[in-house]
Amino acid sequence: MSGWTRHARILGICWRAAVASEVEYRFNFISNVALSMFWMLWAAAGASVYFRYTGAVAGWTNAEVLVVIGLFFALNGIRQMVLQPNLERMTDYVRLGTLDFLLIKPFDAQLLVSLRHLNVNTLLDPVLGLALTTTGIVLTGRGTSVAALASFAWMLACAVLLMYALTVAMMALAVKLVAAEELGQVSYAFVELSRFPVDLYRNPVQTILTIVPIAFLTTYPAAALLGRLDPYMLLLAPAVAACAGVLATLAWRRSLRSYAGASA
Amino acid sequence: MRDLLTAYPPLVRSAALVAVTYRGRMILGVITGFFPLLTMAVWLTVVAEGGPPAGWTTGDFLSYYAAATLLWNLSGNHVVWRWDADMRSGDLSIRLLRPVHPFHQYATSDLGHRLVFLAMLVPTLTIAALLVPGLDYPADPVLLAAVAVALALAYALSLLMASTFALVGFWSTQTTNAWLLWWGLGSFASGWVAPLALMPDWLRTAAALLPFRTAMGFPVELLMGRLDPRQTVYGFAVGLGWLAVFALLYRITWRRGIRRYQAVAG
Repeated sequence: MSGWTRHARILGICWRAAVASEVEYRFNFISNVALSMFWMLWAAAGASVYFRYTGAVAGWTNAEVLVVIGLFFALNGIRQMVLQPNLERMTDYVRLGTLDFLLIKPFDAQLLVSLRHLNVNTLLDPVLGLALTTTGIVLTGRGTSVAALASFAWMLACAVLLMYALTVAMMALAVKLVAAEELGQVSYAFVELSRFPVDLYRNPVQTILTIVPIAFLTTYPAAALLGRLDPYMLLLAPAVAACAGVLATLAWRRSLRSYAGASA
Repeated sequence: MRDLLTAYPPLVRSAALVAVTYRGRMILGVITGFFPLLTMAVWLTVVAEGGPPAGWTTGDFLSYYAAATLLWNLSGNHVVWRWDADMRSGDLSIRLLRPVHPFHQYATSDLGHRLVFLAMLVPTLTIAALLVPGLDYPADPVLLAAVAVALALAYALSLLMASTFALVGFWSTQTTNAWLLWWGLGSFASGWVAPLALMPDWLRTAAALLPFRTAMGFPVELLMGRLDPRQTVYGFAVGLGWLAVFALLYRITWRRGIRRYQAVAG
């Protein structure tokens, strides 16, 4: 276990350094937080247009859709904060051969490459997103229960792991394609699909999004919070997340075998 | 002016060639710009469950959002990030030394990319209109000519509006955020969040006077044959008016801003 604590300690140091350097640009940080809040209001107002014409779309009321939109912002905030800044650097790592130096460090290569950097600008997005989710729950007027909160936390943890796996898969591809910027867009597109509950799309899109596991990102965690999740999902979600994690790690290792250093 | 006219074709062509060279990137850009299709998908569910909202059928939504995707890829918004990056890095200094004003350097570079997008999207849209039932546009040559002019106006206004905002960079480091705020607010009045016909009356009234609809909703509504001649002329008048306003704002801001510019590097 000492390996894990050592890894956690070193990542903690890296992240503290990232926060410390960003604190220099306080106004920039405030401006970005304000923009994040604006985008959430934007999304909430935009979704409300549908409900001018109907009380519920595919069984989701306006308040329930807000729960999902909040989760979307929370997850996307985590993606922009931890995953995107690292994925962005992959092109340079490969092109300049920096990856050589990262691989020989006495630290797990996948963790180092995928978690080393931190974008502090969306630090508060998960908090803001969960605030919108809470607002949605309050607006439904039904409240929630301890059991629902517990299953929500469980499903959300699975969703974060799943999103991490998607990004590691993109990193593996980046080693081969050397096009991290575009792959970043693809990973964003995955998450973007989870902006609305998947039920809002009709088939075949809905089925595809359930298989591609977009539904596990926001729809099922929201359903858990609203107390209407199929209990078997509590087992299926970790299985899906774990499978995705293992597959992504295998893809990463495979891509490293094909990597030939570019540094001299 | 003559110099400018001779400079435009080769600069636009070289930008288009760059775009074609990185075509994988462009295709990904088109595919990932699918947000309008998400909102469309939700509208289709609304239609399927409760009937056409405000008389908008499945076919109307398909036609609207297919054309909206075209407009989304035709906007000149991207120049904001180019200006911002060059002001930060000091690369703007090099651009200032060139014989063509930086505005035209960014404009030609962006235009080249947009034309390649158009070359991909217009045939796709035409094929879709022929194959997909419900996705239809009136095939009236006069109307299509008017749409072509409206598209040019949409691009010109979005480019000029974005460039004017980019000049905020002479005073502040928050250019892109200021632009995103402006764009985000405008997206309710442009037809981007939802077709304006489905928006509340007060918003539709305001949108008719604001610049945003010119760059998005107006060409789409025109293409769908939803505007009578009076509304068409009015739409063009509003668009041209705002084009003049932003041209003036741009000139004033540029004159004041460039005096403040101190190159960081180059």
